Order: sequence, then C-alpha cells, then structure tokens
Amino acid sequence: MSEETASYSAVFTTKTQYSLPRTKYMIPRSWARFHLSQLINKVLALAKPVPFEFLIRGEVLRSSLAEWCAERGVGEEETLEIEYLESIMPPEQMASFEEDDWVSCVSCRIPGRFLSGSYDGQFRIYDASQKLIRAVPVHNAPITSTCWLPSGSGVDNERVVATASQDATVKLTAVSLDAEGSEPRPLASLHLHTAPISSVSSNPDEDMLITASWDTTIGIWTTMIPDADETLPNEDAEPRTKKRRKVSAEGKRKLPSVVLKSHTKKVSGAAFTSNSNAVSCGLDSTVRTWDVEAGVCTNTITAAEKPFIHLGLSRVSTLSRVFVASTDRTLSLYDLSSGRSASAAPTLSFLHPSLPSCIATSTTDEWRCLTGSYDGIARIWDIRSAKAAVSSFHVFENEPLKSKGDRKILSLDWANGVVCAGGENGMEVWRVGESGTVLS
Amino acid sequence: MLKATSNKRKQREEDSIEEPKSLQNSSLPLNGNLELNDESGDEQSDEEDSDGVQEPFPELDPASDSDSDSFDEDDVEGLDEDEESYPDDSGSDTSVADDVTPFPKPRTIISNITGQPKRVYPEIEPDYDSDSSTEEDPTRIGNVPVEWYDDLPHVGYDINGKKVLRAARGDELDKFLSTVEDPSTWTSAMDKKLGMEKPLTAEELDIIQRLQSAENPDANYDPYEPTVEWFTGKGKEEVMPLSSAPEPKRRWQPSKWEKQKVMKIVRAIRQGRILPSKPKTSSDAPQYYNIWSNEDPSSSHVPQLPAPKRRLPTNSESYNPPPEYLPSEEEKKQWEETEKEDRERDYLPQSYPSLRLVPAYDQFIQEQFQRQLDLYLAPRLQKKKLNIDPESLIPKLPSPNSLKPFPLYKSLRVMHESRVRCISVSPDGLWSVTGDGKGHVLLWEVTVGRPVKRWKFDAAITAVEWCPRKDVTFFVVALEETLHAIIPPNLSEPILRATRTTLAPSELPANGSAPTVVKWTSDLSGSSEDKPILSLRLPASSGSPKQVVFHRRGDYFATVCDAPGQISIWIHQISKQHSQSPFKKMKGAVQRVLFHPIKAHFLVATQRYVRIYDLAAQQLLKTLQPGMKWISSIDIHPSGDHLIVGGYDRKLCWFDLELSDKPYKVLRYHTRAIRAVHFHPTYPLFASSSDDGSIQIFHARVYNDMMTDPLIVPLKILRGHKVSDGLGVLDIKWCSGSPWLVSAGADGTAGVWFS
Repeated sequence: MSEETASYSAVFTTKTQYSLPRTKYMIPRSWARFHLSQLINKVLALAKPVPFEFLIRGEVLRSSLAEWCAERGVGEEETLEIEYLESIMPPEQMASFEEDDWVSCVSCRIPGRFLSGSYDGQFRIYDASQKLIRAVPVHNAPITSTCWLPSGSGVDNERVVATASQDATVKLTAVSLDAEGSEPRPLASLHLHTAPISSVSSNPDEDMLITASWDTTIGIWTTMIPDADETLPNEDAEPRTKKRRKVSAEGKRKLPSVVLKSHTKKVSGAAFTSNSNAVSCGLDSTVRTWDVEAGVCTNTITAAEKPFIHLGLSRVSTLSRVFVASTDRTLSLYDLSSGRSASAAPTLSFLHPSLPSCIATSTTDEWRCLTGSYDGIARIWDIRSAKAAVSSFHVFENEPLKSKGDRKILSLDWANGVVCAGGENGMEVWRVGESGTVLS
Repeated sequence: MLKATSNKRKQREEDSIEEPKSLQNSSLPLNGNLELNDESGDEQSDEEDSDGVQEPFPELDPASDSDSDSFDEDDVEGLDEDEESYPDDSGSDTSVADDVTPFPKPRTIISNITGQPKRVYPEIEPDYDSDSSTEEDPTRIGNVPVEWYDDLPHVGYDINGKKVLRAARGDELDKFLSTVEDPSTWTSAMDKKLGMEKPLTAEELDIIQRLQSAENPDANYDPYEPTVEWFTGKGKEEVMPLSSAPEPKRRWQPSKWEKQKVMKIVRAIRQGRILPSKPKTSSDAPQYYNIWSNEDPSSSHVPQLPAPKRRLPTNSESYNPPPEYLPSEEEKKQWEETEKEDRERDYLPQSYPSLRLVPAYDQFIQEQFQRQLDLYLAPRLQKKKLNIDPESLIPKLPSPNSLKPFPLYKSLRVMHESRVRCISVSPDGLWSVTGDGKGHVLLWEVTVGRPVKRWKFDAAITAVEWCPRKDVTFFVVALEETLHAIIPPNLSEPILRATRTTLAPSELPANGSAPTVVKWTSDLSGSSEDKPILSLRLPASSGSPKQVVFHRRGDYFATVCDAPGQISIWIHQISKQHSQSPFKKMKGAVQRVLFHPIKAHFLVATQRYVRIYDLAAQQLLKTLQPGMKWISSIDIHPSGDHLIVGGYDRKLCWFDLELSDKPYKVLRYHTRAIRAVHFHPTYPLFASSSDDGSIQIFHARVYNDMMTDPLIVPLKILRGHKVSDGLGVLDIKWCSGSPWLVSAGADGTAGVWFS
C-alpha cells in the first residue's frame, strides 16, 4: 500500500450545530486539519466556509493524521473517532491605549469598559471607543493589581475599584462608569501588609477580597465599608491620631477579617476558588489551598525550585484547575481536586521561551488559557495539546505603542471574547474567540 | 691426546725392540718354562700340571700395548707358553703383528728320515729386519730422549760428524693448507724422533677413540667374561670344619641386645615419640629454591620487539597478474615520473608467461641496504605506550542539571543612559539599585524591572550598597568624595521610622575621640525620599570611593578610595556618626576590602596580595598570594573559610583559608579581565563577570567536613551583555533567597538572570 493511497477509516462526531450523519469515511493518511475542515464543509455544503478544529482521543490534531498515528502507535485498521468543533479565529487587534507609564494591571470584566492600573499610581477607565473616561490618582506608589467590585450604594453605573499598591495598602474607590457621573470618592483603605501587595481579587460572590503581599501574608477582607476607622486594640495612640488625620481624606481605614500565614517568601498571587476556599502561590515554590473561614492551609503543593510569580484560576466553576507561572519559564497546571499533597509534578507544563508574567483564563472556555510573557507575545494554550501554543500574537507591534524598549506584557485579562493586555508600552485590546459552545 | 698416543706408540716400538732380546734369552721355550716352574715352587706345580694347556685365564694378546711393561718377565714366559696353545691365533693378524711377534712358526712334518713327526722352523733370513740392533735409526741421536735436542737446531750427527739439521716444519699456514688439502692430516700426529707427521694407523685411532669414550683401550678386553668357579660348586665343597671349637650360643639364641633395641623402638612407638608409617612430608623431598623468585621479571631484560607483520602480497604482485592489474602506458609513465617517495607502490606490476622467465629482483641490494639502515638507525628502545583513557583523566563532576537551580536566562533588563557601574540587591532580594556613569541611581523591582524611583547626582556613581540590616532599609551611594545614604520609598511606617532615627538621630552621639576629617551631615527635615538623609564628605582629593562594603550587622561600613597618596580605607560607624582610617600606611594600592562574615577580621586586597587583619588584636594574620598581577575583586564565602579573588589578568583564585596562603584552585575561563566575583549568600553558587561580556556561574559546595575539598563545578556561561569600549559586565550581585543574579553592564543595561 503506497503512501498516497493509504487511508484510515474515521467517524466524525461533533457537539456543534454542524452535525454529520454517522458514517465511516476513508481519510488519506497525509491529511491534516485543513483537509478535514474542507471535507466537513463540503459534506455539509455550507454557504460560508467555517473552519473546524479536530480532536482525536481528546487531543487537538496539530499535524497530519499519519504523523499523529505514528506518534501514538495507532494501527491502520483502527477506526478513528474524530470530534470536530469550530475553530477559534486568530486574534485580531481591536484598540490600543497609550499610557504614560507602565500598565501593571488591566481588567475588562465589565463589557465596554477597560480598566488599567499604572505604575504612576493612577487607575484609568476607558470605553470601547478608546476614550479615557476617568483617570483617578489613588496611590503615591505604583499600582500592582486591581479588580472590580459592585457598588453598595445602589447608584446606577457606579462600581467600586479595588487597587493594590506597592505602598502596602489596598484602596477601594467608588467610580462612575460614565464620563458624566459623579467624581470618584475613596471609600476605604485596607491596612495589614508591611510590604508591597502583589495581587488583589474578589470571590465569586464579590463580597470578599483576598490580597497577597511580599511580606508572606495573605489577607482576607470583607467589602463592607466600615463606619469608622478600625484600629488594632494594642496600637499605640500617637501614630493613630496622625494616621487618622491622614486617612480621613482617603477613606476609612479597614482591617482584615482573616490573615493567612504559611508562605515563607513573597506571595505572588492569591485567588478565591469558591466563596470559602482560596489558593495562593509564592516565590517559595509552593501552591497552597486555604480554608478561608478557618484560616488554615488545607493543602500544599511543593514544586522543586519553581518560584511562582503569577497564578491563574480556571474560571469555569465546575473545575478546580490552577495555572501557575514560574521563573523557570514554565506554565504549570495543577489539579486541586485530586487532593494530592506535596506532589511536585504538575499535571501539565507548558514551556515558554521567555518568562511568562501573567495568566488569564476565560469564564467559558474550559480548555484554554492565555499567557503573556516578557518577550511581548501573548500565547493561547490548549491543555489538550501541551506541546505548543495554539496561537499567539505580538502586542505593542503597531503604532502608536511601538517603542524601542522591551515590550513586556505585565497583565492580561480575558472576558467576553476580548483580551486586554497591559504592559510596558500601554494597553491593547484584542478580540480572541472563546469556544464556549463546547460546554453547552 | 695425540701426544700421549704418540708416546705410547713410541713405547710400543721400544717394546717391540726389547722383545726379541728376551726371546734371545730364552731361545728355548721349554727350558724357560721349566725354570719358571722351579722358581714358582712346589705348591703350584701340581696345579699347573692339572690344568695343562687348557687353561685360558692369563690370556693376553702378544700384540698388546704398553701394559706388558708391568708384567714380570716370568709372566712373559707364561705368555710364551700360551702362545703355543694357540698356534693360529695371530695368523690372521696384520703385518704389524708380524713385526712385533717375530717368532718363527714351527710346522709339524713327517720326517723323511725317521718317519716321526717333527717340528720344522722357517729359516731365519739374516737381513736387517731380523735384528733391531741393525735397524737403521731414523735419527742420528741414538737411544736418547729426543727432548734433549729441543733447544737445538739439529738432531744428532751424521757419520761425518756433521750436524743433522732438523727437518723443516711447515708454519701455521702450511698446517692449515694441509688440513684443507690432505684428508688424512687430522688423523696424523707429530713424531718427534722423526720430526715429521706420521699418519696414525687404524688401531691407534681405535685406541684413541676408546680412550676418548673412557673405555678400556684394549679392543679385545671383555669385561663380561664368564665366571670360573674355582673353589665353590659341585665337588668342591669343604666337608671338614676348619676348627674344632664348639658352636657359640649366639648362633641359636635370640640376641638380648637386639631385643632391648627393638623394645626401645616399641616403647617409643607406644608413647608416640615415633610415628610408624608416617606420611612422607614435603620436607623429605629434596627442596629446591628458586633463587630468582624475588627478582622483578621486567627489570633488566628488554622484551623482544615483535617484528612487524609483513603485508600479504596482492594480486598485482604476482609474476603473472590478471590483465586488469597491469598498468596502462600512462600509468607506467606516471609511475616513472613520480618521485620514489611519492609513489603509491614501490613496484610496477609486470607479467611473465612463466616463473622461469622472472628476472632477478633488481631492487635486492637497495632493499637490503635500506634494511641495514633501518636496523642501524631504528631505536632499540621500546616505547612505553600510555594506555590511559583520556576520559578517565577528567575529574568526575556532577552534571549541571543535577545542580539546579542556577541562573539560566536573562529575563529582563533595565535601561540606563550610560554604562551601569554598580549594582546592589536589597537584603530581601526583591529590590535592586543601580548606579550609572551619569549620576543616575535607579531603584527597581527584580522581578519586573520597572524603575520605581530615580535619583540624580552630579557625578558618576562609583558604588552602591544596601545595608544588610533587616530592621532598617537604606542604601549607600558613593560618588566622588561623597557618600549618601538614601531611604527607598514605600516603606512601612515602623521601618521608615527606625531608619530615620538610625541615620538622622535627633541628638548627635557624643564623639569621644578627636573629630575626623570626614564630615557627616544629616538631613533632619522630612522629605527624605528625594534627597539623601545622610551625607558623608571624605577629605578633599581623596578620590571617589570605588567600593562600599557593609559589616554584616550593618553598623559599620568601609569605603575604598583610589587616589594615590591619600588614606584609602575608611571605616564608618553609623551609630556614632564617626569615621576612622585603621591603616595609616598601606603597601600597594588597595583594591577591595571585606569584613569577615563571622570573625572580627578585615580583608584588604592590594594589587597583588590579600591581607587578613584581626581587628580586635590589631595585627596582621595572614597574607594570601594569589599569584596574579592585579586583583580586581574579592568575595568571601558565607562560612568565612573560603575566599575567591578575581583578577584583571583573567584568573579567578579560590582560597581555602584554613588550608594555605596559596590558591586551592585557579580557574581561568574568562577571556578578558574579571570585573566582579560574588558568592551567593545561601545557595552553593558563585559567579564571576568579565570584560568579555559574559557571566560565569559556578557551583561551589563547601563541606563542613574539614577533610573534604570544596567541589567547584562550572555550570553556565551567561551571555547577553554587549562589550562597549572594552568593558563588559562591571558588577554582579546575587539576589538573596533566590538563585537569581543581577548584573550591571557597560552597555547601559542592568540584567536579571532567572533560573
């Protein structure tokens, strides 16, 4: 049997609306994704061609069928069951926002609004037409992390922005999403940490905050704004008066509800997995899961010499996967539900050519995650195909954000089919498809 | 031997001369016999009679040799008698026997007259042969020993009284020629009397051969004669006892003495003193000793060189090779044109229809000559081949992969406007501060690389250093003749307060000692982030401090200035706001100083030496000699027992301070001058940076065990800094707590290297 005429028998299944009758097809061995996609399109006689991705035994087909079979040791006699789904369109740039300073954190969770926190201590809100709605100076030190919170005041289009900063505080600021809205007013400042805070994020119910700091502690906070400054009972009087005077201009002083201490080095990321559980990672090469209410560490995954610098949680609520980026240029995937303790080997690890600095996951896509790295490339990874990135795009390639220096990506957010990337040269918004239909 | 035989011959001749005389004396044999019988007495007469002529015992060959000399005359007579009994014995003998035994043989005939048998003797011819006295002597000396004439040229005199000269004898050459030409020469011997060679007869040769083989010279001697029972045997028993003495008791009684002896042995056996049927031990066997057993077999004798194997002949070397092996005309021509040394093969294949037509080998002489040359010129020494695997000589080092983590790649860089001259990392390992040639000081996060704050000074920054204290946070910046202490921003309130009180106390400590030339000025006003909170002004023209180094407790720090002729080392105490110079005079230009991490020692690196001082006892402890021309940097291991020294002459020396004042190891891996060396405070790593733009990472494991040498493994060469104006990486520092490295490059960037 020559190379050209050799073929596999295959059955096609799908969960999309483009379904085929269940019949066997003889597929030439040299065919790859493109040929298969053409075949489906022809059989369905689609008016507008739809590109498809193909999954064989849960793996994305990235090469020709012959190569895949040779790699897996699949014989020619076996019938392959090939699942197909609509492939994601290559990412395309939507907008770019020029900023004076480095953008350390971005958020696009609210449709049509893009939030960026910057090293100059301000956070800015843009709308979809690239217009700056607000620029709010809240910190004297660089902002490191930010997140949206619902506003408790009941005013329309008003939200609360939590910003974490290198001045060791988190500040809650109420802002209006409209340009004509009221002026931003500081609500509270969160005082616990003695070193810069690396991340702040909220729980699914958006009534709790978790902060991770360089001083190895993790703080759990409620979003309720206190009526008066909260102080520790044993805090001495003299600086308190001084502080109170100072804080009054910035909002109420607030203390944490729980402090989690177990890390031995800088905690680089922390997030809620549910309303009562949290996960954190740190430079001490550990990923810890926490029972927030009890304030105890329930599980510790210790990786050998992998200082973790960022954490991304799978936002599909049924799963408890956590992606962590480490300084050895890998993105590791740990499955928290398996309950393994201290097992160093990650479920999967994705190799990067440069340091992956940030991770973004989608609310709907259970398979994919996005990383941005210091070489200015954002990569989309599929855990069904760990070898190489599914696709990637260069940020800050085009004017006006193109500059001579490095194009480090410092922050990514992915929501509603839109990816927001912030970095050394500003912020860019890209349209990246989410294969949310897979779940339905 | 020949001479001996010739003597014997001579004697025999003498005998043969004498014998006729005795014959003359006893011309009547019967009479002689009677006389003999009379002399021998009565006892034997009857015996003689009984045996008669049949008795064969005294059989002797009358032609025998000189043994006859020893016989008495009566024996000779007896011989004569025997001769009669064997009348035909010598009849078959040679003429010599005839000459020697000139007995006339009688014949028994019937007398015609009487009719009785009678013996008739042959008539005696009266010629000279019959009498020895008439025999002409070959020499003229008479019957005297010939040795008397040994010294004289002549041998006797002739009838006229003239000397008879000795016959001329050939010289050695003639002797040799005669041995070659005459086959009988070797069987001839010199006859001294005659003065000439005489061939030996067959009998004489036979005698010589017998003597040579140590046999009886007599050919007729039979050593295995049948025994003759003279006194025993049948009929000869003695019946009568010789004495009438009674038979002694011992003839039939067992011997008491023997019994005692036997009982003694029996007792010995019973008591076990003697072991009967004892197995033969090895001691019974003769013992041989190998006297060469102790000698080294490979000592003196050079083992024979095996001859190189000859190549087997190929088809083309055949006398009639197949036609495909024969060269074409062009090949022949080419072969002839090429030089002899350049030829592929030293022959030209040629074809002959038969082996008989093959000519002689024309290169024979050449080849033999070459072989002689080879033998003569070839060294007779056997080269001892070192059979060592070169891989085994390389020290076994662990694989770098097993020694992770260590810096592998450049994760980010921080841009400066001019060359970055110095770098320092905060004690928590998360902040880094760099100073450049245009007076900018940048504070940036190690993991992100964002400059959080910038300071601008008037002159080039030559050194920056963080204070190692955890309770206060500040760093010292050095520029020309000035030192500034700066508090970084975003400190928590208690630390900021502690730092301020440390650096700018409200009341100045009382300086007990005399005020120094170093001026301390504290900025007590609030805005400390943009301006240095504390400034030190070194005396004028003391040059810019090229190094700032803190004591581990953070209270003292030392600076090194490079202006010649000035005090170069200053030690500053922050708590007392006081500066002092411990060394009034220093030999050589001081390059670097260090505080010992554990003891109260102070290390000073001058251009060539590293000196260790005890600060408490105020004395010199040790002088290390790195053996390099110009030291550029030193660093001490956190354990305090090991020191690395980098030099401008590309060498990096590792010192074991307990071991020696000479380097334990010298690493020479950089191609240009080494600029900085640094030990990691916690990980077993150290790094060196060089003007070749590279940073080299080494694993350096130091064991607590004093006996185990430190293990140094080269791990990684980090390249990424460009070389500008011949300068590469000017400074490196490790981040404490992480295996990360920060580097200051002359290309205007500071790099962060992650594992």
